[in-house]
Formats: sequence, C-alpha cells, structure tokens
Amino acid sequence: MTARRRARTLNSIGVSLLSAVLLVWTLLPIYNIIRVSMQEKEEVLSTSVFPVAPSPHAFSVVFRQAYWLLETFWNQMGNSFFIGIVVALLTLAIGSLTSFTISRMRIRSGWMLTNAALLTYVIPMSFLAIPFYGIMGKYGLTNNPLAVIAVEVTFATPYAIFIFQQYSASIPFELDEAARIDGASPPQIFFRIYLPLMAPALVAIGTYALLLSWNEYLYAFLLLSGGKVITVPVALGKFLVGDEAPWNYLMAAAIIYALPPLIIYYGFRRKMSGGLTMGGVKG
Amino acid sequence: MKRISRRLVLGGVGAAVALGTGLKPRGARAAGELTVWWTQGFYKAENDAVIAWMADWEKRNNTKVNLTIMNGPDVITKLIAGMQVGDVPDVVHTVTGDRFLVPRAAWNDQLEDVSDVVDSQKAEFTETALISARLYNAKQKKYSIYGVPTKGSSLMNSVWLPLLEEVGFAATDMPGTQDKFYDFFQTVQDKLRSKGKRIFGLGYSMAAKEADAGNLFHQFLVSYGGVGIVTPDGKLNIDDPAVRQAATTSLERLTTPFKKGYVPPGAINWGDVDNNNAFFARQIVMTPNATISIAAAQMDKPDLYYKEILTRGVPLGNDGKPVASLLAISPTIIPKGSKNVDGAKALLRDFIQPANINAYLKETRARYLPVMASIVKNDPYWTDPKDPHRQVAVDMGLIKPTVPWWMSYNPAYSAVLSEQIWPQAEANITQRNMTPEQATEDAAKRIKQLFEQYQK
Repeated sequence: MTARRRARTLNSIGVSLLSAVLLVWTLLPIYNIIRVSMQEKEEVLSTSVFPVAPSPHAFSVVFRQAYWLLETFWNQMGNSFFIGIVVALLTLAIGSLTSFTISRMRIRSGWMLTNAALLTYVIPMSFLAIPFYGIMGKYGLTNNPLAVIAVEVTFATPYAIFIFQQYSASIPFELDEAARIDGASPPQIFFRIYLPLMAPALVAIGTYALLLSWNEYLYAFLLLSGGKVITVPVALGKFLVGDEAPWNYLMAAAIIYALPPLIIYYGFRRKMSGGLTMGGVKG
Repeated sequence: MKRISRRLVLGGVGAAVALGTGLKPRGARAAGELTVWWTQGFYKAENDAVIAWMADWEKRNNTKVNLTIMNGPDVITKLIAGMQVGDVPDVVHTVTGDRFLVPRAAWNDQLEDVSDVVDSQKAEFTETALISARLYNAKQKKYSIYGVPTKGSSLMNSVWLPLLEEVGFAATDMPGTQDKFYDFFQTVQDKLRSKGKRIFGLGYSMAAKEADAGNLFHQFLVSYGGVGIVTPDGKLNIDDPAVRQAATTSLERLTTPFKKGYVPPGAINWGDVDNNNAFFARQIVMTPNATISIAAAQMDKPDLYYKEILTRGVPLGNDGKPVASLLAISPTIIPKGSKNVDGAKALLRDFIQPANINAYLKETRARYLPVMASIVKNDPYWTDPKDPHRQVAVDMGLIKPTVPWWMSYNPAYSAVLSEQIWPQAEANITQRNMTPEQATEDAAKRIKQLFEQYQK
C-alpha cells in the first residue's frame, strides 16, 4: 500500500510539474504581448519582466486611431468582420446543403462528391496562392474582399461537408421518412428538421470558418492592396517596416483584434464541443 | 405552394454555376488609367507627399492614377506574384528592388526598357546611378536601362553621444579608421558595464533576413579590399586572393564581437527595424544603418537630433585612405505587361524632373539622397551646415567616392543577396562553429553555383 501511495504521489508531482511547465510555456507569450502593450515605446526592448509604469496608452492610441499606421484600424476591423461573417455564412450554406443532399437525399455516388471536396486539402493552401491570384486577376477581383471570401469558402467548405455528413449520421433517417409521409418536400425537411437538429454542428463549423478567415494573412495580403480594403492582419504587417516599429501599439492592436473571436468562442463553446464530438461516434 | 422538386433544385444550382463560370473576365484597363505601386515611407509625410503628387499629376494629365502604398518587401512579393500570372501594375517604385528583384527581372525580359525616360534627365544623374540602372537582358542579349534611378542610400553609423560621455569619451575620440572605429565601441561597452549598465557597444543585425546584415557585410567587404568580387563585365572573382581575404576578414570582424558579447544576442534575429528600436531604447551605443533615418526619426526632438545622436559615415580604411561607399539606388520600374506603358513613362518623366524629385526627397527627411548632383548643388537644404546628419549622408553618397552594388554587373548577385549567403556565413560561424575561412569557402561554393545560372 505504501509503495502504491508513493507511486501515486510521485505521479501526481510529475503531472503537476509538467502542467506547470506547459502552463508557463503557453501563457508566457500571452503575458509578453500584454506586457509590451502596457509599456511605453522606449521601454519595449528592455529586459524588465514587469512594465515599469504600465499604462493603457497604447490601447487608447489604437481606439482613437491616433497613429498614422492605425488611421483606418476600425475600417480594417470592419473588413475582417465582413469577410469572416460572409465566409461563415457561405460555408454553412454550401456545406449544409451539400451534406443534406448527399446524406439525406442520398444522391447516387454522393461519396464521390465528399471525397472530391476533401481532395482540396491534398495541396497546401500556400501552393495555390499564385494560381488563385491569377484567377482573381482575370475576373477583376484583385483588391476586392470577394476574392478573399471565395478563397476562404473554398478551403473551409470541404471540412464543413465532412463534419456535417458525419454529424447527420446521428440523426435518425426515420424523421425524414415521417416528414415525407406527412407531405413535406425536401426543402421543408431541410429547413424544419435537418437544420434545427444540426445546430451544434452548424455553430462549430460556423465558428471554425470565421476563425479561419479572421486569421488569414497570405491570401488577404496577396489579394488585397489598398488601405481601405485590407484586413487587420495585413495592416498590422505594415508596422514592421519603419524606423520606429511601435511594438506596444502593435501588441495593443493585436489584443483588440483577438477579442471578437474569443468572445464568440466562449459564447458558443458548449455547443461547439457538442458539435465537434458528436459526429465522431457512429450510430 | 408549388412543389419544389429535386430536379428543379438541381437544375437551378446547375444554372447558377454555369452563370458563374460565364462571368465576364476583366477587360483591359481604361486607356486613361495607371496603376501605381509605391513603397510605404517611414513617415506619414513621405506617403502624403507621394499621394499629393500623384493626385496633382492625375489632374494635370487627365489620367486616373490608382495608387497603392505597401511595405517594401510586400511590393516585391506581390510584384513577383503578378509577374507570374501576367497581372502587373504600370509603375512600381521599390526601395530594395535594386538588390532583390530588378536585375533578375531585367535578365528575364520582364521589364520595359526605360532608356528614353532616363535619357530625358541623363545629364543630371550621377555616374553610379546610371551604372546601377544599366542591366543585361538575356533574351534580347543586350544591356539597357530597366529601372529609373529615383533615390540613393549608403551605410551610416548612428552613435549615442551621451553614452560616450558617460564613460569619459567625446565625439572626437571616435577613431577614423575601420578596425579602430568598431573596436572603440567595445571599449565603451566595457566601461559602461563596469558602471553596471547592461548596454551593448555594437548594435548590428546578424540575421539572415531582410537587408541590414547584408548591407553591413558588403560595406565591410569593400572596406577590406573586396570591391572586385564581381568585375564590371559580370565575372565572378571570388577566387582572387584579395577578395577571399577581404571576405574572410569581414566575417571575422563581424562575428568575433558577437561571440565576445559586444553585440546583443538577439541580433541574430533582428529585422531591419530592430536595430533602430534597440538604438532608440539605448540598449546599444551605436548601430550601422542604411540611411540617416535613425536621426531623421527624431527630427521633432531637437535635443536628440542636434546634440545626442551622432552620424558618422564609412570609416577610412585601415591604411588611412578613403573607402568608397556602396551606394544603393532605388529604382522605379515598368513591368512588362503594363497596360499603359506610355502613360507610365510620362508619369516617370515628370517625376524625375529635379524640382519634383527634390520635393519628394525632402519629405523623406533626407533619409534618401538625390541621385542628381545638381539638386544638392542648387538647394541649400542638402548642405545646411546646421544639420549634423544630412551633410554626412551627402558626403558619403554624392561627394566622396561611391561604387554601385554588383547586381548591375551580373544579376546573379541579386540571387546571392536574396539567399542571404553572407549572413548565412555569419550564422555558420556563430551558430555552427565554422571558422571564417570555412564559412567563406562554403559561401563561395554557393555563389559560384548561382553565377553558373547567369551565363550570358
């Protein structure tokens, strides 16, 4: 018994130590971002662990757009929101309609459609950047948020279709049959039975699609140029060229930019975990 | 309600897809329109000056100018992407394009010949500017002018006078020759450390990225006698004993202080802006920089600008003789595939008129130098004796001897810079324990491979 208790104690200490290391490893960069955002410019590169005179001045500058590289910060935030929301909605629409067609209407060879969609992920996103740039150029969509939306929807939808399909397998098909017997048409089954029951998966995928486009840099950078259409990640890249890269303003802007997806995630987290895990168990 | 069948839905979706693929492709840019990409300035006034000038040109010439201002590296990345898909702007102004893009683009016949634009002001341009603009086109098998010289820059050294004074030195105590100049700051660090100040004497980037580390190495190369690394007819001369020795000495002189702790450890990761930040934070006593931008950024603080920040040019050689400055010339180009070449040339012809380009350069706070001697001669702004920094830059870039970068002799050297061969050699010494000789040999091997790809 003593040996077992000793082993348990050692195990517990080991787990605690590992957890502490992982916690520090994870939280240190976040602490550093917050620390730098609370410092004045001259203090940013100092080695002090705590800010000497912490102040929210950098946040105030970002909020008031009082620095020349932040003059259109809220406009760019709006661009990020617009792209994120539209990408989320289109991904949900296309993904849910496709998975409904394949899994509920049971079209012939529907599995080919799913597999073809997943083939999108065989080639890394970054490899397709130049071809996409060319295609968008031909359609006159460079410097247009629709180009970035098209790209993000392209890469988010296959995963959405896959998850929706897996999730809908847990919804009894008898519900559809009963509705059909009662005279419901496919659109009615889609809107009145399928979508309500798919709510957790819709929330999870919608959040995923929003975050995918929220953090997008490469395609936003390539496809958008003008100050009025670029998104926040691209705009923040401009900070890194100049004599006085104001790291404190950059960190403050980054924190403000990170807040909306954090709020969305915490608002929907229960439904998200339900949506992501339920599709994993068949039957 | 009419029953919606599956067939109807599928038919509708199919029609929508067909309609989408039939979207009308973008037509040619309107004749009276120009797309201009310009490198973002370091100061708002610099951007505002370009925007205002373009707006004025637009009105005077009845030609719409779609101006986009981007980071320097972004301009190059997007231009390369555009060149690959055939969707390019009409005018592109780059800052580091002379090193990382323009020579190879000219070699590959991806740029419009702008000889006629440069000829309109040929008598005004300095010899180094004209040499830098003359590039070889491998497809047409001829040299021509593919970039309009717009502005110049050469290495400066910024120094904190108060940190020197704190340990009993004055500005006049800084030695004037190469080795003694840089060794001096190691002494300053030792004295500052004995007072408990954790400040580094030397603040230069050693990162294998961006431009700063390469700028300093190559100026060192020239200072130690390696200016002939590429001959004017484009031949690589790296096996010349003098060039090899210069390269080895440059690597040794840059890496030894780092290993001894006189350069911040983080310098191996510094981007081009980080030495500036470290300088402003007074973590380093001195820093080399490609322009006088460090002082210029503090122009609104008279104490700093006029008293505390010193600017020094390239030191004399160890033999006491003047050393030529490597002068980088920022080109403005017209990519091939531009839909309004005549309009682009008209804009550039107007822009490089001395009065116009001078007005623009003054908004850069003299961070960049004119490439026309008459501008400096005719406008006392450039030789204002009250300004402690501008005169140093003008001396280095326009009055004392200068040499062009070697990309104008052979575009292979642009590939050498893009691959950060020499900063990688520094990393081989500091991180992988190679000797300077081994690192030089390793670098030379790769450089030879790159030069083999650019045989005329």
